[in-house]
Amino acid sequence: MNALLIQGLLNGLILGAIYGLVGLGLNIIYGVLRVVNFAHGEFLVLGAYFAWVMLSVFGINPFIALPLAFIAFFAVGYGLYFLLVPRLARSDDPETSSLLLMFGVSIALGAAMLLVFDADARTLDVPVEPVFLTFGEIVLPTIRLIALGIAVALVAVLAWFLYRTQVGKALRAFIMNRDAVSLVGINAKRLSAFAFGLGIGLAAATGVIVSMVFPSFSPFMGNDYTLIGFVIIVLGGLGHPVGALLGALIYGITEQVAVVYLNPSMATALGFSLMIAVIFVRPSGLLGQRQLS
Amino acid sequence: MLKVRNLKKRFGGLQALRGIDLDVPARAILGVIGMNGSGKTTMLNCINGIYRADSGSIELDGQPLAGRPIHEVAALGIGRTFQVPRVFQHMTLLDNMDVAQVASQASDAERNEQSAYWLDKVGLLALRYNYAEELSGGQQKLVELARIMVARPKLILLDEPFAGVNPQLALQLINLIAEIPVQHDCSVVLVSHDLTSIYQLSHHIVVMNEGAILTQGSADTVRSDPAVIEAYLGA
Repeated sequence: MNALLIQGLLNGLILGAIYGLVGLGLNIIYGVLRVVNFAHGEFLVLGAYFAWVMLSVFGINPFIALPLAFIAFFAVGYGLYFLLVPRLARSDDPETSSLLLMFGVSIALGAAMLLVFDADARTLDVPVEPVFLTFGEIVLPTIRLIALGIAVALVAVLAWFLYRTQVGKALRAFIMNRDAVSLVGINAKRLSAFAFGLGIGLAAATGVIVSMVFPSFSPFMGNDYTLIGFVIIVLGGLGHPVGALLGALIYGITEQVAVVYLNPSMATALGFSLMIAVIFVRPSGLLGQRQLS
Repeated sequence: MLKVRNLKKRFGGLQALRGIDLDVPARAILGVIGMNGSGKTTMLNCINGIYRADSGSIELDGQPLAGRPIHEVAALGIGRTFQVPRVFQHMTLLDNMDVAQVASQASDAERNEQSAYWLDKVGLLALRYNYAEELSGGQQKLVELARIMVARPKLILLDEPFAGVNPQLALQLINLIAEIPVQHDCSVVLVSHDLTSIYQLSHHIVVMNEGAILTQGSADTVRSDPAVIEAYLGA
C-alpha cells in the first residue's frame, strides 16, 4: 500500500470521526423527536464561534471551551425544544413541518452569525507543538490526531451514556417505541427536551473540534455540515446512533481516499454517489431497520 | 383502591362508554369480559390516560387520575399490558427492566435485584441478555408483565394476556397473576376472552356490553345470569 493511500485512509478516519459526531447528534434528535434538524450545521458553526470568542475575548483554551460549549448549547437546546417542538405536534404533518421550521431556524441563525461576526472567515489559532508528526512518508497535523482522540473519546462517552445509563437506555427505548416509554412512567416531553439538548450540545462541541482542525470557518458553512450530516445518517440508517458512526467513517474515508486519486470536487460527488447507491440497494440505510418499531 | 364513576367516552357517533361505575378493592382481581367492541379496552385506555374521558371520575387511592398524562398515571402506580406486547424490541430483557425503573429512587443494586427477581418469576432469567425481538410473542407478554411489576405498581391493567400464548406459557401466566395481589400487594384488572381463566382467577367479574356494564358479581353469579347468557355466551 502506498503512503498516499495510507495518508488518505488516516485523513478519512479523522474526518469520519468528526463527521460521526455530526451524524450522531442529528440521529439522536431525529430518532427521539422525529425532527429533521436542518439547523444542525448552524449550531455546529456557532460552536466554532463560541470557541473563537472564548479564546479571543476571554483567553480560554479551546480544549476547555469544548466542554463549556457542550454545556451551554445543551441548555440552549433544552430550552429551544419547549419553545419550538411541542407546537409541531399540532400540525397535520409534524415531520415536514419540523423540516420547514428548522430550515427557518437555520436561515435565522446564519443571518444572526453574519450580523454579529461579519462574513469574514475566522481562524482559531491553537498552539500545538510539534505542528506535524511524521511516520515514514506519512505526515499528519498533530491537531488532527488530537481531534481524532477527542472525537473518539466523545463517541465512547456517548456510547457509555446510551448503553449503560438509565437515561441513555430510556432514550434508546424512546427511539424504538415512543408510546411504551410513557407507559413505564417516563415524561416523554422532558426526555425529548434532553435529546434535543444533547444533539445541539454535541453539534456545538463538534464545532469546537472543527474550528481546531480546519483552517477557517464562516457563517456560510452551516449548510455544508448539515448536508454531510444527512448523507451520513441516510448511509448509516435514520435514527440509528451506531449507523451514524458507520456512515460517517464510510463517507469520510471514501472522500479522503478519492482525493488522493481524483479531482477534489469529484471526491465530494463520490460521497454523494455512495449515498444514492445505498438508497437504491438498502433504502433504510446500512444499519437501519426496515421499519422502526 | 380504584374507583371509577360515570365514565363516558364517545368517538364521533359511537358512544364507546356509557357511564361506567367500577370499584377495584386492594389486593383483588377484577375480571372484565364482553364481546368485541363492548368497551373493555376503551375503559382501560381511559383509566391509564391513553384516552381522555369525556366525563366521569377515576380515582386511585383518592387521587384523581382523569386528565393526567400517561406517564403521571404510571408514576402513581398503574401498570398496563397490551394484547400486542409493547416491549423494547432491540434491547435486552435486563435493559427493558432497567428502563421501567428510571423513576425509581432505588440503588443500582436494588434495581438489578428487582429486575432479576421478576425475570426469574416469569421464567426468563436465563434469557436476560437476549434481545426482546428474539423471544416469542408469548414470552414477550411475560417480559411486559415483568416490566410493569418491576416498578412496584398498586394496580395493573392486563389486556388479553392469554391471547396468542401457548398453553404452557398461559398456565405460567395464570399462576403468576393469581399470586400478584397477595404476594405483591397489587390489584389486577384482567380483560380477557378466556372465560376459564377469568372464572378461575377473578374475585369479581364485570360483564360489559355496548359500552355499559351488563351485570357483575362472582363467577357463579355471572355464569348463571340470563342476560349474560343471552348477550355474551349466546347459549
